[in-house]
Amino acid sequence: MRVLDKPLVVSGELAWLGGDRLERRVDTPMKETSTIADGEVTQEREGKKPRSFSLKRAPQLKVLLDSFVALLAGDPSRLGESFEIALGRDADRWQLTLTPRDPRIAKQIAAIHVYGSGKVPRCMRMDESDGDTSIDLLGELATKMPAEPTREGLIAQCGGAM
Amino acid sequence: MKGARLGILVAWLAALAALGAIVATQLKVGTDLRSFMPAPTTPDQKLLMDQVGEGPGSRLLLVAIDGGDDAAKAALSRGLAAALRKEAAFTQVVNGDFDLGMLDTRLMPYRFLLSPTLDTQALDEDYLADQLQQRLDDLGSPAATLLKGLLPRDPTLETLKLAERWTPARSPEVREGVWFSSRGEALLLAQTRGAGFDPGAQDEAIGRLRAAFAALPDSAGSHLTISGPGYFTVVVNAQTRDQADWIGRISTIGFIVLMLAAYRSVSSLLFGALPVATGALAGIAVMTLCFSEVHGITLAFGFTLLGVAQEYPIRLLSHRRAGESAVASVKGLWPLLLTAIASACIAYLAFYASGVGGLKQLAVFTITGLLAAGFTTRYALPYLLPERARDVADTPGLARFRGWLDALPRPRWLPIPVAAAAVAMLAFAPGPFWQNDLSALTPLPRDLLMTDARLRGELGAPDVRYLLVVQAPTADGVLAASAKLEPRLREQVAAKTLDGFELPSIYLPDLATQRARQAKLPDRATLDAALDGALDGMPFRKDLFAPFVDDVETARGAPLLTPDVFARSPLGQRLAAMLVPRGDHWVGLSALSGVHDASAIAAAVASAGANARLLDLKDASESLVAEYRTRILHALLAATLLLLVTITLALRSVRRAWHVLAPMTLATFLVLAVERVVGIPISLFHLVALILAAGLGLHYALFFERDTGDPAEQRRTLHATVVCVISALLVFGMLAWSSIPVLRAIGLTVSLGVAFHFCLSILMAPHARQDRLH
Repeated sequence: MRVLDKPLVVSGELAWLGGDRLERRVDTPMKETSTIADGEVTQEREGKKPRSFSLKRAPQLKVLLDSFVALLAGDPSRLGESFEIALGRDADRWQLTLTPRDPRIAKQIAAIHVYGSGKVPRCMRMDESDGDTSIDLLGELATKMPAEPTREGLIAQCGGAM
Repeated sequence: MKGARLGILVAWLAALAALGAIVATQLKVGTDLRSFMPAPTTPDQKLLMDQVGEGPGSRLLLVAIDGGDDAAKAALSRGLAAALRKEAAFTQVVNGDFDLGMLDTRLMPYRFLLSPTLDTQALDEDYLADQLQQRLDDLGSPAATLLKGLLPRDPTLETLKLAERWTPARSPEVREGVWFSSRGEALLLAQTRGAGFDPGAQDEAIGRLRAAFAALPDSAGSHLTISGPGYFTVVVNAQTRDQADWIGRISTIGFIVLMLAAYRSVSSLLFGALPVATGALAGIAVMTLCFSEVHGITLAFGFTLLGVAQEYPIRLLSHRRAGESAVASVKGLWPLLLTAIASACIAYLAFYASGVGGLKQLAVFTITGLLAAGFTTRYALPYLLPERARDVADTPGLARFRGWLDALPRPRWLPIPVAAAAVAMLAFAPGPFWQNDLSALTPLPRDLLMTDARLRGELGAPDVRYLLVVQAPTADGVLAASAKLEPRLREQVAAKTLDGFELPSIYLPDLATQRARQAKLPDRATLDAALDGALDGMPFRKDLFAPFVDDVETARGAPLLTPDVFARSPLGQRLAAMLVPRGDHWVGLSALSGVHDASAIAAAVASAGANARLLDLKDASESLVAEYRTRILHALLAATLLLLVTITLALRSVRRAWHVLAPMTLATFLVLAVERVVGIPISLFHLVALILAAGLGLHYALFFERDTGDPAEQRRTLHATVVCVISALLVFGMLAWSSIPVLRAIGLTVSLGVAFHFCLSILMAPHARQDRLH
């Protein structure tokens, strides 16, 4: 956490619209919808003009999109194009560690960890190379977000999903 | 006697070698086309001359890299850009490699003075709170990783606003961090230091570009496509030289065969070449003494025009009687030969009177050359030629040919129908009389033009035809005027009359604007308080924004940014290309891209109230060419009058002068009429060629007019003239088949001219009937 002194919590809905289209809707603390479609990222915020930029300007976002879509579509070969994949299993639970193959991406994203059980991914953690971490608690785990989250607590909670 | 001959030959060759040495050490060949343009008179023409080749658009080379996958092409694009940025031949190289650090770190604090944010906004608590809230939202968005690094120093994202402002309105797609065309080629724009229409400078720049590309690892499997005005200049130049070279080789062989057939003597051929060689070397040597730099075109045209001088040795060789020494025959010929030399010199003097730098050089070269060739033919060549020579009057068939020519009907009224026909043809000829478009003379292969249009469209590269010109007494004045134009041009882009534009003020605001922005920056205490207030309740780390506060403080006290200081930054080159001093004032040059409605843009520019206008380079160049032609025509008129006087004085008879000048004038107009009636518009090159043909025709007429009363001498005259005509047809007839319009214009005009001059001067010769009586 290089710029903030406590974790930033946002909640909302992540929807895969099929193909390379992803919608990320944030409900709190502010209303915002980001859409990734046709190589363009569009950000719409309440009371603001929509902003958009080309996905090509943000290669790390492209990687994220790839990983989401491949994961949601269950496409291991596509995942393998961009990442080294390591899979750990413990009975019903599993952990997927994705390390970017492109060195330029790796400068910004160290690894993405996906935790899940059965057929359901439950948490996604992205370790940025500068030491920051972003964590997506998915599905029912999202309801268990503590009121005053700490970085360590969240990491444990996410990993605990395994 | 034999020893004396050898002595003269050695002395002559030594003189040639000395001239050659002067030429080899002193000659500096220039290639800038502008020295072949007349001095500009209107402001638009002045700008055009400055801009021909030097405008931002015409110095751009468009480069496409193809072959291999996207990553490989992008790597090559980056490698090439990095290599070219180190080359002195290039002032700017862009490939879409978009870098937020475009603004030098030293200049980072100046972002508050460069960006328009402060014009409408103060750095107060409300604004900062709003900005910080937005940044916090950004951190929770997919764009977080993009912005995180910028945050501490630039929470209001001024650098991004500047980057957006400095990114061309229409830029190609970015893949792997660099520009790509829709066909998947990596694209790159390189601006050369040398002028666009300077083939020498462009050839060197393109050579360096290719070498830099070849030196890149893995470039072997890739293909480099280059386009742009500079590339075309090089291509046209190479093509012209190529064709001129092979045509020249064939003509030379033909000429040697002709000389051997006509005189049956190798020594005549070799010695006969000496006067022209002397003329050429002497001409160049004098030019190097008179001018610091000799233009390449002067040399090419000069050698062509000097072809007239080959007549002098041919006359001497043909007019020798059996048993007569060469010295004796040259003495007999000399008065006429001198008249011929003087009149050719007068005709070429017209070039000097045109007042155009390149043409003045041409005049000096050709007049010196003619005099040197003429006087060596008179005073040196006869002493070298063998004692005995074959009398060409006995050449088989010549007597019959002369007889046939003499038998042709020669009505006295002949000039009237010929003149009437010429006038009629000129009156009813299709199309425009004059060719004003210089580019029509340098056509490019269609596929090259299509490639250029495609790449230009993809890159949003500026239009080479239009240029927005802002003038002011100072550089800052230009920036202020340019700032006034900005909103007008934005309206034009919105109205779709224009795709995009660049203005110097986009890169650097004028001092008054900077000062106003600087005055709005809060002092440290005020800013600290505002920031504390804005940060209240936000999760940002304490002291995170210290670099931001420092930058504001620096910007408050910094001296304003002048073009000089800005020019030292990586972006400065772009500004430097747009902001140039011209004598006592400054000029801002802005490239426009995708001009759809020039008159609407011109009106919008005029309405801005700044000293600015839209310059149509095509219009300006056409007016310049028209003016150029007027000068040459005036000079020609003067030369014609002078010629009239000279010939009349030399022949001491108005009637004889008429017999010489009438066929020459008539034939010249006939050439003009025939070219016009087949739809050829007359260009400057046609005019130059007409002058050359007239010079040749004058010689024919002078010699045919000469009444010797000796049928053998008349046969020798015919022999000499036929050899001259055939040699001219060999050289220029070949040029007429060239695919390059400049060469074709010269070749066709001179060939037609030689044929008409020959026919008319023989048919209008006054004493043919008397010959037959002998």
